[in-house]
Amino acid sequence: MPQHLIELIRFSTYAELRAERSRSYLGLIWWVAEPAMMMAAFWLVFDVILKTGGPEYLPFLLVGLTIWQWMKSCITHGGYAIWTNLGLIRQVRLPVLVFPFVQMLADTIKFFYIFALLLAILWLMGYPPGIQYLALPVVFAITLLFSAGVGFMVAAVVPLIPDLRFVIEQILTVVMFLSGVVFALDAVPSPLREIIALNPVATLLDAARGILMHGLWPDWLALGKVAVISTATCLAGMAIVLRLAPRYPKLAV
Amino acid sequence: MGELLIELENVGVAFSAQRRVGSGRFWALEDVSLRLNHGERLGVIGRNGAGKSTLLRVLAGILKPDRGHMRRGVVSCQLLSLALGFTPYLSGRDNAILSGLMIGLRQRDIVARLPAIKEFSELGDFFEQPIASYSSGMVMRLGFSVAMQAEPDVLLIDEVLAVGDAEFQEKSGQALRERMRQGHTVVLVSHDETQVAALCDRLLWVEHGRSVLEGNRDEVFAAYHQGLDLATDPK
Repeated sequence: MPQHLIELIRFSTYAELRAERSRSYLGLIWWVAEPAMMMAAFWLVFDVILKTGGPEYLPFLLVGLTIWQWMKSCITHGGYAIWTNLGLIRQVRLPVLVFPFVQMLADTIKFFYIFALLLAILWLMGYPPGIQYLALPVVFAITLLFSAGVGFMVAAVVPLIPDLRFVIEQILTVVMFLSGVVFALDAVPSPLREIIALNPVATLLDAARGILMHGLWPDWLALGKVAVISTATCLAGMAIVLRLAPRYPKLAV
Repeated sequence: MGELLIELENVGVAFSAQRRVGSGRFWALEDVSLRLNHGERLGVIGRNGAGKSTLLRVLAGILKPDRGHMRRGVVSCQLLSLALGFTPYLSGRDNAILSGLMIGLRQRDIVARLPAIKEFSELGDFFEQPIASYSSGMVMRLGFSVAMQAEPDVLLIDEVLAVGDAEFQEKSGQALRERMRQGHTVVLVSHDETQVAALCDRLLWVEHGRSVLEGNRDEVFAAYHQGLDLATDPK
């Protein structure tokens, strides 16, 4: 990649984070406050009111939502990036992949801040760090690869069919509930549970929870399969974007 | 004249008419041919909707021709765009860097030119403030100052010859004319015939997405006016 593009990506990411900080009164506090409020809502519904949470529900929810929020941000922010930058794409010749890439990078940096806080909370709750933490970078890399792949696919088609945005939000909500983000999949009856377990998101969350809460090494075979799927998704997503790239400058803003 | 930089041969570009399922296409450019040599200042004239801006975007490499051929050497072509990529919540300084990166400059080059940009845009202390607090004239001044830093092999200009209040218009127009006289290769689209006449040595006349005539300035102007008279004055 040319040096100049690397500089553009780096500075755009900085600009994105910086702009986000100054867009609201509380700025950076929202990075943490927003997911925290969402966690509180789920905890209230599933643990306090419905009492379906079970033991260890709070850490289970914290880990699940933190990682899911990161994935979702990459998919939506990255996915809408080409569409929101159509005005720019009409005026200047830039590789369009830059736009989703910058958004995903910004969301990943945000995630690392939130994750650091999550670790502190987990330690305070009595889940100390272990040697299994060494597997976290692998889990994160695959998670990013998978989210980026889906994000690129969304990014490719949303400029052509912006109406898809309304559908994508709903699909992501369904996927969240079907991936064991807010409740454990053990509660799901048998044939359905095995089908849901094929979902790459569920595998990734399982691996992260195992490492962070139970001191378990990930199921490498399952993780390997997800890694293959993720790489394929990512390559396919980029290929579709590149394929459709000549059409974007012709679209009305 | 210098070496041939870009050559278009019967180039056409089609757009979808609407963002609707099954909407038809229309050809914004039907059939345009042109040759651009190094050091040339080519003016593109024609009425509204003739396809002049689309043509510039083809030359900039933003749009790919849907038919015909385009040959270009290893040259960078840049559309002069004001306030490219500006973000309201960032300071003038950060926006200048961001915009500079988008028009193809290296970060260290832009940073080195920041004092000149600040000076030329006359923003003073506002340079460090978010541009959301600027007046539209201030944004334009900053935008122009940054855009002028681009150093492509071929500079493409679409009507933006002067911005801001009367005083800054004078200054920005002056700076741009200066650039054009320094022997850069320029393609200029403008409605202002006196401007085109003053700045360009060759002209391309485009009508309904087709190139009608390409040649030296006076020859094309003469034919163009004759054509306009015929069109507006039915005798």
